[in-house]
Amino acid sequence: MKTLKPLALAIALATALTACSSSTEEPKADGPVTLKVARDPGLDKGAIAAFDERVAQFEKANPGIDIAPQEYNWTATTFTAQLAGGTLPDVFTVPFTDGRGLIERKQIADISGLVSALPYATKFNENVAKAGQAEDGKMWAVPIAAYGQALHYNRALFKQAGLDPDKPPATWDDVRAAAKQIAEKTGKAGYAQLTTDNTGGWILTTLDYAYGGRTEKIEADKATAELDTPELTSVLQWLKDLRWSDNSMGSNFLYDWGGINQAFASGQVGMYVSGGGNYGSLVTQNALKPADYGVTVLPLAGKPEAGVLGGGTLATVSAKANAAVQAAAVKWIDFFYLNKLTDKDAAALDAKTTAASKQPVGAPQLPVFDRATYDESLGWVKSYVNVPLEQFKPYTDKMFDQQLVTEPVRSTQEVYKLLDPVVQSVLTNKDADIAKLLKNADAEAQALLDRN
Amino acid sequence: MNSRIRGGGLSTLVFLLPLLLVFGIFSWIPIGRAVLMSFQETNLVTPSTFVGLQNFRDVLADPLLWTAIKNTLYFAFLALLFGYPVPLLAAVVMSEVRRFKGLYSALAYLPVVIPPVVAVLLWKFFYDASPSGVFNTILGAVGIGPISWLQDSAIAMPSLVLEATWAAAGGTVIIYLAALTGVSTDLYEAAEIDRASIWRKVWHITLPQLRGILLVTFILQIVGTAQVFLEPFLFTGGGPANSTTTLLLLIYDYAFANSLGGEYGMATALSIMLAVVLGVLSAIYFRVTRGWSKS
Amino acid sequence: MSRGIISPSEWLRPGVRRTTRGVHAVLLVLLFVIGLGPMLWLAKAAITPTQDTLRSPLALWPHGMDWANLATAWTRVEVDKYFLNTVALAAGSWLVQLLVATTAGFALSVLRPRYGKVITGVVLATLFVPSVVLLVPLYLTIVDPPLLKVSLINSFWAVWLPAGANAFNILLVQRFFDNLPREVFEAARVDGAGPFRLFWSVVLPMSRPILGVVSVFAIIAAWKDFLWPMLVLPDPDLQPLSVRLPALQRFVELDVFLAALAISTVIPVVLFAVFQRFFLKTGALQGAVKG
Repeated sequence: MKTLKPLALAIALATALTACSSSTEEPKADGPVTLKVARDPGLDKGAIAAFDERVAQFEKANPGIDIAPQEYNWTATTFTAQLAGGTLPDVFTVPFTDGRGLIERKQIADISGLVSALPYATKFNENVAKAGQAEDGKMWAVPIAAYGQALHYNRALFKQAGLDPDKPPATWDDVRAAAKQIAEKTGKAGYAQLTTDNTGGWILTTLDYAYGGRTEKIEADKATAELDTPELTSVLQWLKDLRWSDNSMGSNFLYDWGGINQAFASGQVGMYVSGGGNYGSLVTQNALKPADYGVTVLPLAGKPEAGVLGGGTLATVSAKANAAVQAAAVKWIDFFYLNKLTDKDAAALDAKTTAASKQPVGAPQLPVFDRATYDESLGWVKSYVNVPLEQFKPYTDKMFDQQLVTEPVRSTQEVYKLLDPVVQSVLTNKDADIAKLLKNADAEAQALLDRN
Repeated sequence: MNSRIRGGGLSTLVFLLPLLLVFGIFSWIPIGRAVLMSFQETNLVTPSTFVGLQNFRDVLADPLLWTAIKNTLYFAFLALLFGYPVPLLAAVVMSEVRRFKGLYSALAYLPVVIPPVVAVLLWKFFYDASPSGVFNTILGAVGIGPISWLQDSAIAMPSLVLEATWAAAGGTVIIYLAALTGVSTDLYEAAEIDRASIWRKVWHITLPQLRGILLVTFILQIVGTAQVFLEPFLFTGGGPANSTTTLLLLIYDYAFANSLGGEYGMATALSIMLAVVLGVLSAIYFRVTRGWSKS
Repeated sequence: MSRGIISPSEWLRPGVRRTTRGVHAVLLVLLFVIGLGPMLWLAKAAITPTQDTLRSPLALWPHGMDWANLATAWTRVEVDKYFLNTVALAAGSWLVQLLVATTAGFALSVLRPRYGKVITGVVLATLFVPSVVLLVPLYLTIVDPPLLKVSLINSFWAVWLPAGANAFNILLVQRFFDNLPREVFEAARVDGAGPFRLFWSVVLPMSRPILGVVSVFAIIAAWKDFLWPMLVLPDPDLQPLSVRLPALQRFVELDVFLAALAISTVIPVVLFAVFQRFFLKTGALQGAVKG
């Protein structure tokens, strides 16, 4: 017996060790896992309550997982520091534009094995799925939301200016005329434009697409910058006219995403272009009055190339996460972001929880999966919808008819970044030379594309 | 003078330990690392590789570098223009105040006490470019404006400097005031025997006597403005149209603003170049202060 | 009897007296407007509804006051939490700086080891290296510090420890210790005091004035710091006011935001009012020592 005891101990230890080491590969093994998940910053109390309620539901269904929410949202200027500093949550979101780069540099975890086991893994909309896939087609990052750009407008300002809020502008000339009328009648900015933190380039590219242009051309393996084009020239000329001939853009020309949302929600801005799914953050982060909100499709030039820039959000898992955390992370992505899009009960539960905390349910989005799943999911949450669907109609009626064009793929954010000063120039310097600005930007962008 | 208290033993090392650890880890090693990194390509994912002078070439080829240098020099120039004569004048006048002198200095120093971030955010609101902005309302009352302040690429930089001057001038005034008390009254009395007027005394005695401290504040201001970050970062983010992108903002952008990995090599290369320039200025400063503190 | 540029006899001339008084009065008014004006406006705006502040920023409460702003700022914006973070950061930096500066000053100026000159030289050399050079490598050091193996990101130590590497403090303290009478040390030594007793019971009590100066510099610097805490404390729960306020601007309504700014201003201003003389004295010193 005496000699056997240490042996038994050793065996027990060894088994325990194997159990431990296998637990890192076998996600089913017990042992509590703490999972840091992203939560939008600046949420109001109700939104935080709704989030916490969802967390409680998840923890109840997954007793081994402990959720720790962390305030996070992606901004171009803070993301690198967080990535380098290792301070990102285990599950975090990035825009479509950064997916490929992060995968190539292996800066996020390869969760493709876990993702392919999800029941709806094959049902992703093909274009959307691409954003989260590596070259070999493995899905490292999960698309959780897709958007097409839209024109948001303030119905109250439309009324004050004598415009019909149910008949929003349908051409860029209409937008200009409406902006002028709003500025003259109300003294507010008729139209405002995002210009900082890379959003200047993002919206400029959006307008370029809507005018029928493209900012890059890819042939074989060579990418060519196409910034010095008639389309972009017209876009900038249009902005210049609004700003300097009509003076209908107000007095602030340095807007980032959060800033323009706040200005719009507080009634300082008549119209602006941004992602079609903005309603949620306008309400939960900026206290927008729902009755004032209007949204419509982007006007498109009468050219076959004219299209709506579309993008989206990927859920990704930190490269530092071990197997257990990765497994928990994919469960969370499934539970929090995707289940509500594919599963009737999950959709209803999510909508119920969200609506109970007076948070918006039913704001329009583009489908992450196929159109049928999307239409079906709208039915599941119908009884909980608490947003003014009527006011979304100008957008929802036409959003599927518009050609969706993905964002540029090479050095996207860097090219956006160098377009920021171009649009800022036009808006803050009366004598800005559009041709020269575009020529320089084109050369700089080409240098960037050649370097990377 | 050779003292019996001379350490070389263990206890001396114990006392030096905090210095060695803190300076070693958070100053000496990072400085060495900065030099090393400026010759390397670092992306924090794969091991660093030496790239020779490539980072320096990249920085020098960046059109934004020249914009940033121009902007930084412009900032320094404006900061001297606004922030140099006014505190001096104020200090000379204040030094003659007989009653409530403390009140004068306290009021002048008050902006220095406000946390700089609060000051910038407050002024950002003051600079609201609409006619109902705070400054535009005030100017509108006398028939000026509205001015676009931060929203105009030509006026943004002066606006930044105006705030920076407001925030810092009080400190300079106090320094001058202290220096003024050091001016020997004998010199004034000697001048009065020659029936010198008050103006002549200021011009021929006070200002020359302040020469040392004037040079010091001059260099301090240059060294400080070369590293200006808070104002452009919070007011304008370098805009509009890069009109307020300063060198430090550019370094920050290289390292931290690109969402797909920082150009740490370029950032350190530029900071090393800036350091060399500032090092020369600091060296001058130390020579001057040494002579000045002895006199 | 102290005098300035204007002699007593000149002061007796009515023309001089009138002009001087006039100039002084104008200056006082200007100083009131420039120094105090913005703060008074902020105090007013803190209790004014958003729309009034936007439409007529200079009017005094056209539609009444809104005291609730302050309470909302304190709770919703959680100014209390960020304020405590600021205090914790300042206190820690202060302690680390005092520890490093006094021990180093004692070792170099009182114990004077043979290699002391070398260390002093290397410390002072860092004065010539502007802080911008350290930005990136120091950040990477915090991410992956030697000896520790644990990232210091999102830890107060990431602010506290680098604050200790301040060569000015060493210079100041060393100069002060150099001027202390060495006879006292010798006497203490004769009485059988070891270096630790000497440090704690003799040198430190004698160096209150310089410790006060170093403290004021340390606390002011910590209070003002923005870029560094922003980089190393990305977790909002740990951020000081200076880092949190700009981020909050996007989510908080203007009146509440201005109330938060006002609250953040009150404490330093009160501190200044109480310790005014000391502030102004060290402020003047800044010209002599800072670079």
